[in-house]
Amino acid sequence: MRRARLRRSILCWLVLSPLVVLVLFPYLVMLSTALKPTAEVMSYPPHWIPRHWSLTGFSAMWSQADLGTAILNSVAIAGGSTVLALLIAVPAAYAVARMRFRAKPAYRVFLLISQMLAPVLLILGLFRLAAAVPFGDGTLVNTRIGVMVIYAAFQLAFSVWMLAAYFAAIPTDIEEAAWIDGCGRLQAILHVFLPLAVPATAVCAVVAFVAGWNEYVVALTMLRDPGKQTVTLQVVNLVSGRYSVTWNEVMAAALVATLPVAVVFGYVQRYLVRGLTLGAVK
Amino acid sequence: VSRRLAAAARTGKQPGRAVVLFPHGGAMLPRLSRAGMPLLLILPSLVLAIAIIIYPFFVILRLSFANVSPFGQLRGFVGWANYANVLTDPIFYGSLLRTLIWTVAVVGGTVLISVPVALVLQQDFYGRSVARTIVMLPWALSLAMAAILWQWSFNADYGMINGMLQSLGLISAPVQWMARAETAFPVEIGIGILVSIPFTSTIFQGGFSSIPTDIYEAARIDGASAMQQFRFLTLPLLQPFISIAVVLNIIHVFNSFPIIWVMTQGGPDNGTHILVTYAYELAFRLGRPGPAAAVSVVMLAIVFVFTGIYLRLRREDV
Repeated sequence: MRRARLRRSILCWLVLSPLVVLVLFPYLVMLSTALKPTAEVMSYPPHWIPRHWSLTGFSAMWSQADLGTAILNSVAIAGGSTVLALLIAVPAAYAVARMRFRAKPAYRVFLLISQMLAPVLLILGLFRLAAAVPFGDGTLVNTRIGVMVIYAAFQLAFSVWMLAAYFAAIPTDIEEAAWIDGCGRLQAILHVFLPLAVPATAVCAVVAFVAGWNEYVVALTMLRDPGKQTVTLQVVNLVSGRYSVTWNEVMAAALVATLPVAVVFGYVQRYLVRGLTLGAVK
Repeated sequence: VSRRLAAAARTGKQPGRAVVLFPHGGAMLPRLSRAGMPLLLILPSLVLAIAIIIYPFFVILRLSFANVSPFGQLRGFVGWANYANVLTDPIFYGSLLRTLIWTVAVVGGTVLISVPVALVLQQDFYGRSVARTIVMLPWALSLAMAAILWQWSFNADYGMINGMLQSLGLISAPVQWMARAETAFPVEIGIGILVSIPFTSTIFQGGFSSIPTDIYEAARIDGASAMQQFRFLTLPLLQPFISIAVVLNIIHVFNSFPIIWVMTQGGPDNGTHILVTYAYELAFRLGRPGPAAAVSVVMLAIVFVFTGIYLRLRREDV
């Protein structure tokens, strides 16, 4: 029995091995490059293990690329958009999961359609919209708040779908029992339903945050001022359109930008499977 | 409705009065509230989606029929001129053809690889949760960042790919992967497949776990081999999931922007443009918003067609 399982395990890992190698390859390249000094990065043929271990890539990118500011921008934009999306999606998902109304099928179709329209398809319209809205001295172009609202809007459909799927799985009788005990509906929601909805909402929040953190095209188009740019955009800008690229700095920056997100996402990823197979997907 | 909400909130603090407002213990809310409440709850999401998603669509539609200056001023209505303008551009046809190749290759490759991967991940074996996490890993990575990592790996002068291929004796001199479209575009397709596998194999895993196990026992008793079980049981039962994965992937891959834009910006010599990078270049690099809007409308129309197919596929859910 155990031998059979061992044999099966070896076979399974063999089948998966090409994919595993390809998935891990860029991460290993990133780690290897980030820990080399510049001179060693610019040598051929390259080798995996640094001859001289060096953290100069990290210190250089931190001071030169101003990655600290970029990380703060990313936290503010992704965090703000997550809060906004959830504030709007939680009530809507509650209505979809718990209440009957005639417009529900139409609303669900509307969400699905809006889910299919990627920001990049609408970017020209989004840019003109942002340029038409006065904000401060100028317009919403080149503002973090503009990007934040756009991210929230594009995160809505997925959030409502996924939250509604989870909310529908929370038994109604607990809420009904609360009503019978003299709770108003709102009170039942606040004290009975919402605590049970916290895990699903947290998963949804992580997805929304990671999506905002990783987004590229809206940030590229809207955020001109380097002091306002997100970390994803900053790292790409270290490479694109530059004649000489210091790759150990770029890889150090990429490591700082990706690792925290990968860890959090890896942790919640298993809770996603159900929501994804049920609803819309990004 | 808002007054009722306020009343409910107030009574919430004084449970004794809730009985007066809702004599049936709250289970039967007053009529107006019952009809208006769900609409009130979905209203903010409608407002945001209409402002940020639906309205820009109409902005683009209008732009596509307008004479737009490079700085964005509208200078009158020009009918189909922007569309005609695009149709005379040879780069448009190249991009259109490449969009087809890109979509078919990435979606086809993704589905072909994801079925066996999901099948393996459904087995019971040592280290399965580690394997699942590794397969899902590209999902957490920003596409733009993945493009940067692979761009460096394929770097002609110092990249790890050239180094490894040369040490294995597969190439005699470093290859300029990104300098020629003939090599750059296939590399981009490969990366496109790699980043689409997590989502697709997740759908298939959901599909596999929805198949009841007892039908396999019945098949075994009837003497069906493992191959026959896969061919005549698993594959037909997985079919609806494959259809959904194909359509959703078409919609995502068709307008996948960051990989190509970050790695080659559509170049060299416009040889890696697909429609979405071509439209972006027209709009934000070449100062031709009118034709860019026309290309966007064409892309949106294609997305609507596939969204329609998707809605039909999953009609029973909606």
